[in-house]
Amino acid sequence: MNTVGAALAAAVGFAAVAAAAGMWLPLRARVPVAGACTAALGAAGLAAGVAALGGRTWSADLPDLLPLAGVHLAVDALSGVFMAVAGAVVLAVGVYGIGYAGGHDLSSRGVQAVLPGFALTLILVPAAASVSTFLALWELMALTSLALVVAEHRQRSAVREAGLWYAVMTHMGLVLLLVGLAWFAAGAGGESFPALRAGAAAMSPTARNSVFVLAGLGFASKAGMVPLHAWLPRAHPEAPSHVSALMSAAMVNLGVYGIIRLGLDLLGGGPRWWWWLVLATGAVSAVYGILQAAVATDLKRLLAYSTSENLGLVLVGVGAAGMFNAAGDRPLAALALAAALLHTVNHAAFKALLFCAAGSVLHATGLRDLDKLGGLRARMPVTAGLFAVAALGAVALPPGNGFTSEWLLLQALMHGLAVPGVSTAIVLPVAVAAIALSAGLAAAVFVKALGVGFFARPRSTQAAGAHESPPTMLAGMGLLALACAALALAPGALAPGLVRAGAAAGLSDVRPVSGEGLQLRLTQVSGSLWPLWIAGALAVMMAAVSGLTRGLSRRRRRTQARLWDCGGGAPTPRMAYTATSFAEPLQRVFDDVLAPEQDVDVTPVRESAYLVERVRFHSRVPDRIEHRLYRPVLNGLSNLGIAARRLATGSVHAYLGYGFCTLVTLLVVLAVMQ
Amino acid sequence: MSLLRKIRDTGRVAEPAPPRPEQEPPAAARELGGSVQVRHVDAGSCNGCEIEIGAAFGPVYDAERYGARLVASPRHADVAMVTGPVTRNMAEPLRRTVAAMAQPRLVLAVGDCAMNCGEFAGGYGVEGAVGDVVPVDVSVAGCPPEPDKIVAALRSVTGR
Repeated sequence: MNTVGAALAAAVGFAAVAAAAGMWLPLRARVPVAGACTAALGAAGLAAGVAALGGRTWSADLPDLLPLAGVHLAVDALSGVFMAVAGAVVLAVGVYGIGYAGGHDLSSRGVQAVLPGFALTLILVPAAASVSTFLALWELMALTSLALVVAEHRQRSAVREAGLWYAVMTHMGLVLLLVGLAWFAAGAGGESFPALRAGAAAMSPTARNSVFVLAGLGFASKAGMVPLHAWLPRAHPEAPSHVSALMSAAMVNLGVYGIIRLGLDLLGGGPRWWWWLVLATGAVSAVYGILQAAVATDLKRLLAYSTSENLGLVLVGVGAAGMFNAAGDRPLAALALAAALLHTVNHAAFKALLFCAAGSVLHATGLRDLDKLGGLRARMPVTAGLFAVAALGAVALPPGNGFTSEWLLLQALMHGLAVPGVSTAIVLPVAVAAIALSAGLAAAVFVKALGVGFFARPRSTQAAGAHESPPTMLAGMGLLALACAALALAPGALAPGLVRAGAAAGLSDVRPVSGEGLQLRLTQVSGSLWPLWIAGALAVMMAAVSGLTRGLSRRRRRTQARLWDCGGGAPTPRMAYTATSFAEPLQRVFDDVLAPEQDVDVTPVRESAYLVERVRFHSRVPDRIEHRLYRPVLNGLSNLGIAARRLATGSVHAYLGYGFCTLVTLLVVLAVMQ
Repeated sequence: MSLLRKIRDTGRVAEPAPPRPEQEPPAAARELGGSVQVRHVDAGSCNGCEIEIGAAFGPVYDAERYGARLVASPRHADVAMVTGPVTRNMAEPLRRTVAAMAQPRLVLAVGDCAMNCGEFAGGYGVEGAVGDVVPVDVSVAGCPPEPDKIVAALRSVTGR
């Protein structure tokens, strides 16, 4: 048993201890012990992932652990990326959760015992090496996360609805995966991954296409891709914030892992249109997700839509990698895949931090509504600073960490124009435009989240009474901020691991990216980036500008003067920009896409229709895809249920008749088929 | 083209410029160098003075010839041109408006009401004349004052 195996065994051990502590320890000891063990479990997962990225592989067969099929585990560099990301997020969230869960429902036995289980499945899913193991771990992950999503169902009724959506959609995804992977296993003549790899080539193209489309839909729904994203903006806001961080930074990534593992590795590439589909889904999700985030006023809902956007960008990279691979350009495919994986890592770092900071705000004020927040910079300076670090990563501008990966992605797509084919000549420029549009909108989104949420003056008494979070929460967020900073300044350190992951995904032995010291160099196409130099130059420029303005202003005499407010009263917090008013111009520009609903309700006084007693203005931006796609299905189902109620008359004779008719029909069908 | 034709047909309508004011402008106005930015404040006027001010800055009297110009904020202004008796609700905004102007600044009270509350003296909503609320440098009498009187008062500030 090498490092990877030992670390995974340690992770399982820590998970067991944490679950036992959560279940049986008294309240005061429960949360710190379970949290510390969860953090240790994350550290073990991180160690396993890093060791796998370093080139170690490990596999194990445990035939007695599950009946019939047994458990098969194997870790390569591709698993390592996702394992390391999940481990790092679990480590930080474990520490954060100690402070966050203190008090209310979240310190209950159930939540504390289930959380380590969820964390462990996040680390183990990428290690699965057979269809049955993968599906069992996948379902365990879905069930444990579902239990955590509904942890606060006693406090808000919206939690129950979110839980229902999540349960239904995740299980529909599971059904698709089950059908797809079972078909694959039957066609390939074996259910372990090596058997699938060997048998995939012999399958008919129709079967391979069906397997990819079915399982790909299941994975895309987990990754929150439009139009299967409906669970994401419900479950993420309603889940406790540390669970949202785990789901958004680690769980949705596994959808991407599934697509890479199945499409590139197990099915061995496939035709170009598969990847065209993946890329188009990613591009549409990126733009749609960030547009919805732009008009969202709930902070956690905004972050959830931003997850949809970033995973969309990752899938653009994955789709491009598959297209280049299908066209035979291996080096470019490896570059696109490296960009996608790097963006997965970056997104996990900043999104976990953003959700933790949103949880910190929620913990201090009890509010998620940006319209009611404001003025938190003075009241919770550390949280505001950490949120700013993460927001810088999310806007994909230097020196944030998201910049490097989006730069790599754009490099891959632009150099991809050299690949012959009409579809690439059309798809790639459109994808570049989609990335540019989503990056621009992301800047507006995070200026809104940071500026409206943390600056200006508080717009509610809760926000005015906010206080800084306990040290454990700040420590957990500090770890994530360090990760963001390290990824922003020295992404080159990850280059060898990403190259190995690309090789593990079947893109052979080309080295698309190399990190030489502080430089990130593209070896197959011309291009290089010095993130540390960019950050240094920016810091020097900002210091120079602020020093210059201070030096100049010191020479003049300063007078204190009242702000010119047109002679009226002093500006009140109600005059400040809210999230809604900040997003209004964008909403106007994208009016046809977002289709906002506005309603003015004028109530006249009883005596005269001309005297107005009350005017009510109501405005909201519903998720249009959800509205158009899901509502008719749900209405149809409920109508069907109402119609089916007529069958249940309450008469025993009728029920006996139904049974008799069914039996006779079955017998007739069997007799005909024989 | 019709605009050009209109300009040609109408010709010059401005009154010939009267001679320069005899006396020196007030000490505070000397620093302004003949270019005076004016902020108009209606502190409770009946709008008679506003019509005359509008005429003073129109093409016939054309106060801008002499260096005075209406601006939209006290932050841009050197002179506050106040009309009307100061009502209770406008007293504080007037003080703030004058306080918001940069030094050196002047206050020009236009019309009888601004000088001594005129017709509205003793009204329940009247706080007092402009001089009771902010220090006044130049006054223009009349109910309402003719545009050329307003222009003359402005020229006494610009010195042109």
